Amino acid sequence: MDEAVRQSDRRILLADADAFYVSVARLLDPEGAGRAPCLIVGGSADRRGVVTSASYEARRFGVHSAMPMARALRLCPKAMVVPVPWEACAAKSRHVREVLERFTPVVEQASSDEFYLDLSGTEGLYGGEPLATTATRIREAVRAETALAVTVGGGTTRLVAKLATNVAKPGPDHPGAGVLIVPSGAEGEFLRRFTLAELPLVGPKLQERLRHFGLRTVDDVLRRDRATLVAWLGEREADWLSDRVRGVDDGDVVPDREPKSISRDETFAVDVRDDAELERRLLELADRASADLREEGLLARTVTVKIRDADFTTRQAGRTPPEPVCSDRAIYALARELLHRLRRARRVPARLLGVALSQFVRAEAAAPQLSLLAAPRLAGAESERDRVLARVLDEVRERFGPDALARGRTPAG
Amino acid sequence: MKFTITREQLQEGLTAVAAAVPAKTTLPVLANVLVEATKQGLRLSGTDLDIAVSTTVAADVDAEGAVTLPAKKLSDIVRELPPAPIRMSAAGEQRVAIECGRSRFKLLGLPREEFPSFPAVKFDKAWTASAGVVHKLVTHVAFAASTEESRPILNGVLWELRPDRMRMVATNGHRLAKMDVPASGGSTADLIVPPKALEQIRRLYAPEAELEVAKSDNHIGFRAGSTLVFSRLIEGPYPNYEQVIPRENDKLATIDKAAMTAALRRMSIVASDQTHRIRLAFTGGTVRFSVQTPDLGEAQDELPVTYEGEPLEIGFNAMYLLEILKYMPTDEVRLSFKAPERAATVEPVGWNDPASYMALVMPLRLVD
Repeated sequence: MDEAVRQSDRRILLADADAFYVSVARLLDPEGAGRAPCLIVGGSADRRGVVTSASYEARRFGVHSAMPMARALRLCPKAMVVPVPWEACAAKSRHVREVLERFTPVVEQASSDEFYLDLSGTEGLYGGEPLATTATRIREAVRAETALAVTVGGGTTRLVAKLATNVAKPGPDHPGAGVLIVPSGAEGEFLRRFTLAELPLVGPKLQERLRHFGLRTVDDVLRRDRATLVAWLGEREADWLSDRVRGVDDGDVVPDREPKSISRDETFAVDVRDDAELERRLLELADRASADLREEGLLARTVTVKIRDADFTTRQAGRTPPEPVCSDRAIYALARELLHRLRRARRVPARLLGVALSQFVRAEAAAPQLSLLAAPRLAGAESERDRVLARVLDEVRERFGPDALARGRTPAG
Repeated sequence: MKFTITREQLQEGLTAVAAAVPAKTTLPVLANVLVEATKQGLRLSGTDLDIAVSTTVAADVDAEGAVTLPAKKLSDIVRELPPAPIRMSAAGEQRVAIECGRSRFKLLGLPREEFPSFPAVKFDKAWTASAGVVHKLVTHVAFAASTEESRPILNGVLWELRPDRMRMVATNGHRLAKMDVPASGGSTADLIVPPKALEQIRRLYAPEAELEVAKSDNHIGFRAGSTLVFSRLIEGPYPNYEQVIPRENDKLATIDKAAMTAALRRMSIVASDQTHRIRLAFTGGTVRFSVQTPDLGEAQDELPVTYEGEPLEIGFNAMYLLEILKYMPTDEVRLSFKAPERAATVEPVGWNDPASYMALVMPLRLVD
């Protein structure tokens, strides 16, 4: 690593929300779920399914995630059970991420409630403050803006950050430190407190093999020389394990900035009942979404239209054409067909309309499959001409402003 | 309704109709099988409204009658019964008593009037063909049909019936398969048949069976022995595929099918999951395979080939080539090309069979 940051200089943090699903459920319903000490999130209304997350009070009874709900309720009969508030969780998760991204652009979301941050090279930015201070500020910022508690672990590698987070997390019988940073150089010593089963990626099968050789804790491995470990486990696994127990892990934090979907919605000031008017609004939304798509250099495999009826019923319909699309024409044509489908099923005034593009392909990776049959001008099929035209329009708008050119059917005023 | 039947007969009949009974349905009666005790025996029928299957099995009928019973439950019961004659009889409203040895069941059904009537297809002007020949056509062609919903016509297999031949063609717009077999007699028709219906023919009729094929305005019917299959036809016209079959391909490569399959499989590991793009470069005695995928890696391979023509570099979706090779009936295959952006053909070499078979595939544009 000559140009890259040396491992000993890396500053990696893991921010992990405490009892994420439980906390979100409580925030949503402060009078109900918020007051139930033993709260279980998951399963369905008829109390089937599995536990997604349990409050620390419920965990004290032995309830843990992935446990069948029936069993959880035998262990903790007084628990209140609520379904996972998926939408609110996704929104919270996005919000946490936004807060974290103010501290460093390098944020990698490992799950809905775990985010790795790489702050290497930001020392100057933060006036040389110790990583623990930055971590504490991050924790406070997340708490202030999202009302969620996060535990932040840190060190020179992802592995150390993950283990530090596990140590600093609150549990059923202790409040948790909230922040734990393992200083550079102290990784080896820090690791010695763990059993091998506590290390990420050491699964039950490997644990069993290791136990067979009398290896149960990190110290057990440290006591053996490389030759012995290689004889037992083979070279690859021996070296991997030796690195692991010393906290060595050269995995990078990879910011996943590529969007998963691009969407544009509009909530109407007054509910819209007229199909033609909805089509006009749809055209604007589709054009805006497809322009963003092209700006990212992407093509979308799937187009989805969402409509919220006046009575708040939200419905959506999606289509995945044979080839990915990016042109205004093809995307609007697909969206329009979907709008028609939704309106045929239920024609009542609409309060919101949205277009979402997803399942992206990078434009340069899309290999045009040549077609055998002269394709009829199908709604969703995009021709070379469509793409060229879209590119030209983008260039004109780039030079002369977004309103320089509008499509014939968009109302001028 | 009252009859006695062997377990084997009942099981055979239920298995035949089972494939037409939908696993999930919004119309409850479709999950049932129609059971009709007649003088000819026991007739069992199932349908998902796209396809209907009906078969008659031997039974001693004491009293005629009909009812519909839940197909899954009835099959499950019959499977678990001891090997002894089964007696079934009506036991009040939509209720059927099943007795076998010392086992007794009562199963609740739905009235037969709720069961959809079968399409009226008359077999008096039917074509006839050996089921084995139809199996061969279906096996080699149906795979190429489209599964995309955007062009429903391509979801079907075109079946051309002519006085002297039968032909099946299927394509998804990127690749196509076509097979001809000699035939005699019969009139001319073009039918576009859902592959699911053709699959039933393969499943239900033994190769040596003499198959009757008939059509009405919207449906096709198959009959052999006492088993009938009906399917909705897809409305045409089918695209003019003849004009896309290349006649001027002047670059010919003869290659070992197994070796080419192995090389393609190796290359496809490193090909993009979305496009499966690989590159083939043909020169005098070799074909060079290569693949390069950003963010993943690259691979090369080489095979000996008998090649006539100017050197050629051409891109393909490896999955399309692999699929076509899978159905080629000979150890060696001949590929023909014109240019990097024109259709390539694949044909068997030295196939000792009265049928003639070809597949074609459009290349992927090589961007670099």
